[in-house]
Amino acid sequence: MNTSSPAALADRESITEPANPLGLDGIEFIEYATSKPQALGQVLEMMGFRPVARHRSREVLLYRQGAIHVIVNAHAPALPEGTPTDGKPVIAAVALRVRDAAAAYRRALDRGAWAVPSRVEVMELNIPAIHGVGTSRIYFVDRYDQFSIYDVDFVPIPGVDPRPPAIAGLHFFGVVQYIGNDRADDWTEFYRELFGFTELPAEQRFGILPKGRILQSPCPPATRFYVQLIEPEAGVLDVEDDEALQRIGLGTADVLATMAELGKRGVEFVESRGVHTEDRGALTRSWLGGVSFELVHDRRG
Amino acid sequence: MSHDSGNINDFGMDTISLAGPLEAKLQAVREAGFSQIMLAARDLAGHPGGVDAAVAAVRASGLRVTGFQVLRDFEGLSGHLHDYKIDIAKSMLSLCHQLGCRVLLICSSTSVHATGDSQALVKDLRKLAMLAIPMNIRIAYEALSWGRTVNEFPQAWELICEADMPNLGLGFDSFHMFATKTPLAELDLLDPRKIFLVQLADFMWTEIKSVEERIATARHFRVFPGEGVHSEALAALVMKLHGLGYRGDYSFEVFNDDYQQMPLATVAERARRSALWLGEDVLRRSVPLPNQIRLKQARGYAR
Repeated sequence: MNTSSPAALADRESITEPANPLGLDGIEFIEYATSKPQALGQVLEMMGFRPVARHRSREVLLYRQGAIHVIVNAHAPALPEGTPTDGKPVIAAVALRVRDAAAAYRRALDRGAWAVPSRVEVMELNIPAIHGVGTSRIYFVDRYDQFSIYDVDFVPIPGVDPRPPAIAGLHFFGVVQYIGNDRADDWTEFYRELFGFTELPAEQRFGILPKGRILQSPCPPATRFYVQLIEPEAGVLDVEDDEALQRIGLGTADVLATMAELGKRGVEFVESRGVHTEDRGALTRSWLGGVSFELVHDRRG
Repeated sequence: MSHDSGNINDFGMDTISLAGPLEAKLQAVREAGFSQIMLAARDLAGHPGGVDAAVAAVRASGLRVTGFQVLRDFEGLSGHLHDYKIDIAKSMLSLCHQLGCRVLLICSSTSVHATGDSQALVKDLRKLAMLAIPMNIRIAYEALSWGRTVNEFPQAWELICEADMPNLGLGFDSFHMFATKTPLAELDLLDPRKIFLVQLADFMWTEIKSVEERIATARHFRVFPGEGVHSEALAALVMKLHGLGYRGDYSFEVFNDDYQQMPLATVAERARRSALWLGEDVLRRSVPLPNQIRLKQARGYAR
C-alpha cells in the first residue's frame, strides 16, 4: 500500500469529507401516491394545505402551505409497484434540495444508489431520482431559488392564491421511516454515505414519540430536517419486509396553538396511554388507512 | 426415529451438490430433514418456467434460503469493466431479493484485469453493500483460495473491516482454509456477528500441490463433512466457530461429480448423516434447542 502518499495521510482521520457534501438545503416536496386523490386532498386541506397547481400531462396536483410542498400523484402508470389499490396513500417520494442535482445524482450512483429511470414527457423537467426505502424515491432538485420546478411542469389553478400562508408557521420537520428488525445500522449508513446525515445521541429527542434512531440532515439550521428510523416492536416477527416512509413531521413554534387552529378545521389528535398531546408535540389521528401527521415543537417558523 | 428428531436446523444443503431440476432438489433436501437450502443464480435463470416459477417453487418448498451465489470477479475493476460488473451485481441482488433471501455470496476476484490496491477493493465492496441495503441483503465476502489478491480469509476480513459497512461480512468456506493451510488460530481475529455464512466441505486427499489441483479439487472432488480425510480439522473448526459465538448457518458447499450422477435422495441422505455428525457428535446437541421445543408445541396446539 502507498502509505507515503498525501492521500493516505489525510485518510488517517476522516476529515476529508465535507460536512454537507451535496449542499443539502431542506426538503423541496413530499409526494404521495394514491388512487384516490380527492380523499387525500380533503385530508391535506384539513391540515391547512391548498391545491395550487396541476401537472401539465398527468393526474398530479401540487398542494402548498407556506414553504411546504406536497404533491399528490394519482397518475396510474407512474405509481410505484405495490401501491395499494384500495386508495390508501403512500409516501412515494421525498425531494431534496441540493446545490447541483446532476452532481448529487452522479455521486449517489457512484456510491451504490439505485437509479430510477426517468419518464419525462416533452418539455418536462428531468428530475434525477434514486431508490429510497421500500418503493419510495429520493429526488434531487437544485432549482428552488431563482425559479421553481413547478413553473415548468405545473399549470396554476386559476383564481387560487398561489402562495397560501402556513397555519401557525408550520414547516417541514422530518420524516418517519419504519424499518425492519436490526436494520437501524443499515439505514443509518445509507443516509450517512449518500447524503451526509449524522446520528443524534439517544438523549436528544424531539416531540412526543422518542422511539428509534434520529438522523440529522447536514442542511443549514434554517432548513434542517430529520429522519427517524423506527424498528418493529420487540417480539413482533415476520414484518421484516415492511419498510416504508410512514409519516411527515411538521414543525411548529407553538404546538398547542397549532393544534387549536387545526382542531377548528376538524383535525383530531391521538390521545392514548402511549401517545398524548403536550407542548412538545402531538400526533394526528390517521386517515385513509394510514395517513397521519406529527407536530413537533421547533422554534423555527 | 423420525427425521425431525435430529438437531440439524442450522445446517443446509446446496443445490450444486445435486443433479436434476430445481423442484426435485428442493424435495430431496426437504425429505432428508433439512430446513434450508443454498441456491445458485442458475437455479433461477435456468428454470424452464422462468424466474417467477423458480421463486414460486422455492417458496412452496417451505425451505428457507440460506444464501444466494455467486458474484464473481467483482472488485477492483475500473471503467467499463466496473460498470459491467455493477450491472451483474444488480441482477444478482434483484434475484436474491425476489427469493426473499438475505445473503448474497461474493467470492474474491481472480481477474487479471483487477487492481490489487486495497483502497479500490474497499471502495467497490462498500458500493456493493450500499446497493444491497435497500433490499435488506447482507453481502458475504469469501476469500477464494485462488483469488488474485485476496486468497485467505484474514485478507478478506481486513478489507471487510476497512469497508466498515453494517451489511458487509465474511463468507467463510472451510475448503479454502484447508487448501491454503491457514492456521485455525487466525479465526480469533473475527467478530462472529460479522460472519454471515459458513460453508463446509471435506475432500479426499491431504495435500494439494498446485493451484490447478486446488481449483480441480474445489470444483469436482469435494465431499460432505465427515466423508473425507479432514474430519478432525472440520470438527475443530466448527467447535472453534461455536466457541467464538458464531450461531449462524452452516451450508454444505460440496461440488462433486459423482454426486451429480447419483439419485438425489442418496446424496441428500449422505448430507443428512454429515449434519447429524456435526450437530450431535461434534457440537453434542443431543436434545433440541429450547426455542425449538416451544415452536413445535405452538404448532401442535394450532392443529
